[in-house]
Amino acid sequence: MTNPDAIVIGSGPAGLAAAISLRQGGASSVLILDRDDSAGGLPRFCAHPGFGWEYTRRLEGGPRFVARLLAQLETDAVRIATSTTAIAVHPGPEVEIVGPRFGHTRIAAPVVVLATGARERPRSARLVPGRRPEFGVLNTGQLQQMVARRIPTGVKRAVVVGSEHVAFSVLATARKAGISIAAILEDGARIRSYPPAEWLARLLGTRILLKTRIEEILGRERVEGVVVRCPTGALTVPCEMVVFTGEFVPDSVLARDSGLMIDPATAGPIVDQYGRTSVPGVFAAGNLLRAIESSGWSAIEGARIGLAAARHLRSAGRWRPSGATLTNGRGVSYVVPQIWADDEIGSFLPISLRASLDHNRAQIRIVRNDEVEWRGRMQSMRIGRRLPISSDTIDALARRGGEIRIDIA
Amino acid sequence: MNSGQYDFAVIGAGVVGCAIARELSRYDCQTILIESRSDLGDGASKGNSAVLSTGADTPFGSLECRLVARGHARYFAEAPSLGLPILAIGSLTVAWNSDQLAMLTSMHADAVAAGFGDGEIVGPDFIYAKTPRLARGAVAAIWDPHEAIVDPFSTPLAYALDAVENDVEFRHSSPVTGAFRNSGIWHLETPAGNIRTGTVINCGGLWADKVDSLGGFSDFSSRPRRGQFIVYDKSARSLLDVVIKPVPTPSYRGVLVTPTVFGNVLVGPTAEDIDDPDDWRTTHEGLAALREAALRILPELGAHEVTATYCGVRPGTDRAEYRIIPRPDASWVSVAGIRSTGLSGALGIAEHVVALASGFGSHLARKSREPRPIRVPSLCSLDPRPWERTATPARADLEIVCHCEGTTLGQIESAFASPIPPRSLKALKRRTRATFGRCQGFYCGARVRMLLDEALAGRTA
Ligand SMILES: Cc1cc2nc3c(=O)[nH]c(=O)nc-3n(C[C@H](O)[C@H](O)[C@H](O)COP(=O)(O)OP(=O)(O)OC[C@H]3O[C@@H](n4cnc5c(N)ncnc54)[C@H](O)[C@@H]3O)c2cc1C
Ligand SMILES: Cc1cc2nc3c(=O)[nH]c(=O)nc-3n(C[C@H](O)[C@H](O)[C@H](O)COP(=O)(O)OP(=O)(O)OC[C@H]3O[C@@H](n4cnc5c(N)ncnc54)[C@H](O)[C@@H]3O)c2cc1C
Repeated sequence: MTNPDAIVIGSGPAGLAAAISLRQGGASSVLILDRDDSAGGLPRFCAHPGFGWEYTRRLEGGPRFVARLLAQLETDAVRIATSTTAIAVHPGPEVEIVGPRFGHTRIAAPVVVLATGARERPRSARLVPGRRPEFGVLNTGQLQQMVARRIPTGVKRAVVVGSEHVAFSVLATARKAGISIAAILEDGARIRSYPPAEWLARLLGTRILLKTRIEEILGRERVEGVVVRCPTGALTVPCEMVVFTGEFVPDSVLARDSGLMIDPATAGPIVDQYGRTSVPGVFAAGNLLRAIESSGWSAIEGARIGLAAARHLRSAGRWRPSGATLTNGRGVSYVVPQIWADDEIGSFLPISLRASLDHNRAQIRIVRNDEVEWRGRMQSMRIGRRLPISSDTIDALARRGGEIRIDIA
Repeated sequence: MNSGQYDFAVIGAGVVGCAIARELSRYDCQTILIESRSDLGDGASKGNSAVLSTGADTPFGSLECRLVARGHARYFAEAPSLGLPILAIGSLTVAWNSDQLAMLTSMHADAVAAGFGDGEIVGPDFIYAKTPRLARGAVAAIWDPHEAIVDPFSTPLAYALDAVENDVEFRHSSPVTGAFRNSGIWHLETPAGNIRTGTVINCGGLWADKVDSLGGFSDFSSRPRRGQFIVYDKSARSLLDVVIKPVPTPSYRGVLVTPTVFGNVLVGPTAEDIDDPDDWRTTHEGLAALREAALRILPELGAHEVTATYCGVRPGTDRAEYRIIPRPDASWVSVAGIRSTGLSGALGIAEHVVALASGFGSHLARKSREPRPIRVPSLCSLDPRPWERTATPARADLEIVCHCEGTTLGQIESAFASPIPPRSLKALKRRTRATFGRCQGFYCGARVRMLLDEALAGRTA
């Protein structure tokens, strides 16, 4: 096999969009690897509409959105190897892979793009006590795969834990699978998703229990119910399934094992505004960078990083020259990118940052070397919401170097 | 092959029953291993700390101490040929203050007097050289180079496969619900009919008192003791390469922090007396206490994700010691109260029990031919992966299904093709680790379920 110009690891929206841009930017051959048995990433299991908006300006079902991206890659210059796992990226870069198609081998390419996505935290990582029945305790991702792969669940009632957007994705999936939702549990005082999600739930007759947390899972072989604690006391909700939703974490094992520098705030690799990681030749894009943005956002990141990577291919310039650092201050969970390099190789990643507090009449500040350089006002800020700061604003400040902190005053 | 009557019926396929069945397979006799559940190793044997003890932490002079020491020696001698991994990483029993130091010193003196002279008292320099990430403040420790970590799931499986390969019959999903003796023959009632045997060996673990009562014996009652655990992500494995133990109290060995052979870090167990041996629940209090202990002992664990939580239940009785009771007149041996050292002691217990039972009646002769060997695939994270084992791996050994644990389709297929195949998801997990990892099935849970459903449907079809 001749070595490709670029290897993209992960065929979700970010990886596919990166491959498209790499081609547009002049890469003559791209190899896309995915460890799953077919290409498309998480959206391929999620049929309800709501995918791709930022990238396509359409709101489609997940499978349609990724099919649209895949259609643009139908050329001999692009190969997609599924059931193929990248187990390490070695210096070079050189990707060590395992899969029935190529065997266990290494493939070198001047550019490698990591786009391995994010997943939800399971019940165990949330330290939810009780029994460990063999059936019925799972994440949304697995439930959607079961439904998409037509694997019977044998379940009539489920309880949903968490109220981020993805919790409401369960409502659609459950309807399709003939599962009724006994309740959505949220330990905060309001739902994490937007109000329309709540209206939708009410319309479907789903109970949302606020200030309620899951205390215990019941059932030996199968789930028989959950004990929840709500403001009025403890309550047993009978059900055969508990779906743990949200609390996404980047799937950064490959990045970690390959020695990329990881940001403790995101648990993903540290990148600059063009997606360059700490290892020469290795870019990263999509929800691997932080959990979680939408599929369309991830695709936009992939697209911009693909263009920058193509540019790097052509010019082979210096890898990530020095620049400013970006960090999160009070009230901000993380900032991506974490580095603003002082060269020009393409268009910037959109700034991804989220509030870590609820705040009324918040003031967002950009502080450079301890001096406030920029202020923006928001009427109200909710935990987990994106903060509106444009990459051009950052660029104007960051070109002067130094330490930049974004916080809430 | 069999006239419908056995010389020995071993009731209970925990690690102890499986080891005894394997021991009996070396002799000229007909043996059946009877298990109530659909898989072996599904009782106390599935939820332990997986530390192979030398016996130095058991009461000196006791039967337990002797059998654990023997079991430890035999494990080192025999487990490798069964394919079972042993990581002899050693243990540090750490004293954090002067009271504990005093206890440690007297523990050590007692151990030396009892013939366990290999442990030595070491100071902070040794401790922190061995385990630099341990919390500050350790005063001294007993360093025991012979304690090891092993695979708790593959161990009973390997014993049972070895037994079956050497002509023992294994019958799963067969709870023994009654027993009566007629002209010197025991009739054991199971849903699929009676099983006739000369001798009964009761290895019922948590339920051994119930099994004994079927035979009309009531020397002890069960006192189940639950232990909860937290398993940290593989990312934490580099923090630690030794078993960290606290100075024990007479009733509780305390919380260990130890690597596992699968490449995780394990913290536990708690110790809670419970009434119902089926009460396998983790609790808020238990998990909170373990998390507190984890951060106190190895503070950097705080930066790592939790992969799993689980509990086990120790099959204790109303007394602290092993309750191995031979009843020559009744041709019945009770093997109970193997509370917290059964994984380590099983091979010692097996030898001891077979010696007892062989005195019951007709002479038990060793088979003249060598036993046929078996091997289980190693699930140890340090051993080569399926695709690394040969230069030209088969297709199925190149297809990874469970990404967190690196389980291949080949491993799953060969588990299903085994003489003792998995019949449930948890049994498949214990044999291959599929869905046991950090994502707990987010990525592969649906596919693994599909493979399991297909295999089970194929078997019944
Ligand atoms: C239940 C659910 C509902 C959602 N609903 C919506 C919605 O309504 N609208 C929306 O916009 N977004 C939604 N999302 C989010 C959306 O799915 C993600 O934003 C998007 O998939 C991120 O794309 P990605 O390319 O970064 O990662 P992914 O889509 O996760 O793709 C990563 C790919 O990398 C592969 N991979 C990982 N590691 C390796 C490796 N070592 N070797 C080879 N391949 C590897 C994986 O198999 C996977 O195919 C939802 C997510 C979930 C889980
Ligand atoms: C928290 C904890 C930590 C531990 N840590 C360690 C350690 O680090 N090292 C160590 O060496 N040991 C450890 N142990 C101890 C070890 O796990 C036990 O000693 C051992 O598993 C006991 O095995 P068993 O075969 O006696 O019991 P079990 O594994 O319970 O087996 C009994 C079997 O009998 C079956 N059975 C019961 N009744 C019937 C019936 N009527 N008919 C048919 N079948 C029946 C059951 O289904 C079960 O499979 C620990 C235990 C616990 C709980």
